[in-house]
Amino acid sequence: MSKQQQDEVPYGTLDLLILKTLESMGKLHGYAIARRIEQVSGDSLQLSQGSIYPALIRLEQEGWISTDWGISETNRKVKFYSLTKAGRKQLLIEVANWEKSTALVARFLEPST
Amino acid sequence: MSVRCALARLFAIAGGRTRLDRELESEVRAHLELAEADALARGLSGEEARREARRKFGGIEQMKEMHRDHRGVPWVETLIRDFRYGLSSLRRAPGFSVIVVAVLALGIGGTVAMFSVVDAVLLRPLPFPDASRIVRIWEAPRPGAVNATTAPQFLTWKRLSADFEAMSAEQPVSATLNDSDGPVRLEGKEVTAAYFQVFRTAAQIGRTFTAMEDQPGSAPAIVLSNAAWQTYFGSDPRILERRVRLDGAPYQVIGVLPPGVFDRDQTEFWKPLVFTSAQLSSGTHWLTVYGRLRARVTLAQARERLQAIYAATLETAPLEERKGAIAMARLAQLLVGASLERSILVAFGAVSLVLLIACANVANLLFAQGATRQTELAVRAALGAGRGRLVAQLLTESLALCILGGIAGVGCAYLLLHLAAPLLVQSLPFTAEVALHPRVLGFAAAIVLAVALLAGMFPALEASLGNLADSLKRSERGSSARHIRVRRAVVIGEVALSLVLVAGALLLAKSLWKLQQLNTGVRIDHVITMSLNLPENAYSIPRKAAYFYDAVAERIRAAPGVANVGIATQVPLRWIVNGEAMLPGGMDKLVHVRFKRVDPGYFRTLDIPLLAGRGITDQDRAGAARVVVINQTLAARLAEVAGMKDPVGKRVRVSSVDYAAQTPMMLDVEIAGIIRSERTAAPGDPDPAVVYVPLAQSPSFHINLLVRTRQEKAAILPAVRDAIRQIDPNVALADVATMRQVQDRALSGASRPAWLIGAFALLAVLLAAIGLYGVASYSATQQRRDIGIRIALGARREDVLAYVLGGALAMTAAGLVFGLLGVLALTRVMRSLLFEVSPLDPLALAMACAALAAIGVAAGFLPAHRASRIDPLATLRDAG
Repeated sequence: MSKQQQDEVPYGTLDLLILKTLESMGKLHGYAIARRIEQVSGDSLQLSQGSIYPALIRLEQEGWISTDWGISETNRKVKFYSLTKAGRKQLLIEVANWEKSTALVARFLEPST
Repeated sequence: MSVRCALARLFAIAGGRTRLDRELESEVRAHLELAEADALARGLSGEEARREARRKFGGIEQMKEMHRDHRGVPWVETLIRDFRYGLSSLRRAPGFSVIVVAVLALGIGGTVAMFSVVDAVLLRPLPFPDASRIVRIWEAPRPGAVNATTAPQFLTWKRLSADFEAMSAEQPVSATLNDSDGPVRLEGKEVTAAYFQVFRTAAQIGRTFTAMEDQPGSAPAIVLSNAAWQTYFGSDPRILERRVRLDGAPYQVIGVLPPGVFDRDQTEFWKPLVFTSAQLSSGTHWLTVYGRLRARVTLAQARERLQAIYAATLETAPLEERKGAIAMARLAQLLVGASLERSILVAFGAVSLVLLIACANVANLLFAQGATRQTELAVRAALGAGRGRLVAQLLTESLALCILGGIAGVGCAYLLLHLAAPLLVQSLPFTAEVALHPRVLGFAAAIVLAVALLAGMFPALEASLGNLADSLKRSERGSSARHIRVRRAVVIGEVALSLVLVAGALLLAKSLWKLQQLNTGVRIDHVITMSLNLPENAYSIPRKAAYFYDAVAERIRAAPGVANVGIATQVPLRWIVNGEAMLPGGMDKLVHVRFKRVDPGYFRTLDIPLLAGRGITDQDRAGAARVVVINQTLAARLAEVAGMKDPVGKRVRVSSVDYAAQTPMMLDVEIAGIIRSERTAAPGDPDPAVVYVPLAQSPSFHINLLVRTRQEKAAILPAVRDAIRQIDPNVALADVATMRQVQDRALSGASRPAWLIGAFALLAVLLAAIGLYGVASYSATQQRRDIGIRIALGARREDVLAYVLGGALAMTAAGLVFGLLGVLALTRVMRSLLFEVSPLDPLALAMACAALAAIGVAAGFLPAHRASRIDPLATLRDAG
């Protein structure tokens, strides 16, 4: 499956980015989530916007996000995603994990004393 | 991949796949539109905007594929992956898989077959609507006694009791059907009209009896069982238009019952029971009564109210009958006696032990398998598989094995039930339909899961919790000492369980042997028995029947190869149903006796010795002075009750029934002689008091012939048939059996559990032997290096042989100790099944231990022998 993950998003962080986006922005549809991630990264991130959909369905099945139907700006029926309670908890865990691993890597990269 | 695809299709069929696909499609379209709108806003042209949106989105098809991958139910996917992996690893070790599946098939097959018997006999309700409301009603002249009912009593109950929806009386009859192949005897029942309402059974073709059909003057009609309709009338669809001649008289077939429950009963036809005027005033107890309780009437209420009715009728009855009571019990309870229930439960317990042993064997094999896979598991763990995942994977593999074993086991069970069908029909109540019902299959599925958990859990835990890093280092050289200890414990358990079964089987065998050795009081060898019925309308006067018996006995005696012929109303070793009273003095001194009519040849044919006086002779015929011969037990009873020290030549009165009209009467008779008691009760029970009446002085329609031959029996049957045909071509022979078979049938209550548990014990020993062999050879292989070194250091081959064999024997010995404890724990259960054998019989237990020790030696010998042949150089070089 990893062969399809050709984007520049750091491996395994897409979930974290989506959860964080939903936490700060509330209910969003797929395109808005993708745009928001690109904007926050200052458009420096090469995200295949399509790749968020597989991630969304997975997060939904884990029970971390929920969906309901709404109308897009172009007057089309689309799914809106929002964070669930379990999702909030998961976000905390992912953030903690991320901080732990970056701290670990950072220690390796510090000039040894 | 195929499993996944199948599942994917399944999801698609359920509608989920296509819906999710459609939803995704519309989401993507909306996404592209939004992106395009943004791009247009940034000033791009229409075509450029569309291309830009597409580019930023990335590969749509790839994304859809991933989307599909992600939305499967995760644990199902994992399970399927493990299952597939499990199946492929089973394919990698086909020998191992076949052994495990075979062991499981035996264990599960036996258990499922036995459970279907438990289900049919003990769990499932009877196959009649509202069956719990069907009761049998009888008179109990003394507490615990069972007496049939008189016609006046039955009619009174029926008229006065308001607690029953329907009540019917019945008595067995048989009739001769003149088929194209000669006369055949059909067994039937005479029943009052409400019979089929009691059982709430409707006809498949035609109808059952109407209320008027048991009244005098109604046209003669019969209902056929489905089996009889098929066997004798070729399933003729126009059977209702046919007239059938039974005993020479024409009957209209008014209905055929549906197949099933009534086919397992012996009854082939039913005809209305029309009371004659003599029967209506007779005090003879001859009817069996069944009733269907009204809804919301309890058994106790119905019994109490019927008791009141009964007590009122008794005010005019003879003094000795007035103490009588009404007894009532549900049909279900009467059909399954305590001894049958006990036998079935014990057999089910035994087969469960076999299943446990099979389980242990599979666990052991999985241990061995797990040991060889330590490295693989270690690598998986190193690559990040959690312990939970490893356990789940191993469990799924054993589940795959168990499911295969379960399928094979259900096949086994089907085969077993098919083979045992004739035996089952004989030994189970007719209401029990033994088959692989959905509930039985559910039970099989539950067993498969339980076995998978039980047999798979420990090896899985062991394999995954063992120090994986260690096993990586040690590579495939072997596993821990703890590992082999667990396997030894499992084998010890197997031996212990096997000992319980073997000891049980030997105890039952010894008990059966004791029963067979019991003196039956009659000569068994070279005696054939058969029954025949005289058509009542052709033999309406007693003298004709007497002539018939004389002629038959004379002709058969003249046939070549025949040593002797006797005639009796009951075969030896069978219970005598007719209960009568003997009055040695006044009415107050009464002895209950069993009543058997015999011809002069009976005692001689069966070598029953005379103890005093004379036997029955040709001179004791109609018109001559009435005599009887009594058995030893009755002589003793007479001495006790009436102080009659020397009964020969004394006159007594015996109640009896006359030939045609079933009116009771008292006979004044002289006791002519005393014979040694022949056995008529179940083996082990005391012999009842029996009075033997000359058949010529009180003939009967139903008799049994007993023919003693000089050589083997086979040749004699055609001669007997010929003799009877020459005298009356309308009389059919039935129930042909040797006395040996009669005896076997009398002992079947004891012999069936013995055979069944014997078979289970054999299976258990086989499984335990496989387990012992497996562990002994495994540990010998593990110790190749040690053994090689020992040999190199000068150990002799015999020492090595003794060393390895000693290991196997030590396991066996430990198993025997635990097994004996198990036998001790089951003493109480066994005692109820044994006759004159202690449940701790030292001989049987010693034999069981010896047998298992021998198995232990046999299973250990091959690995020991192989170990003693180890080439020390080769093993040391390998290890180096």
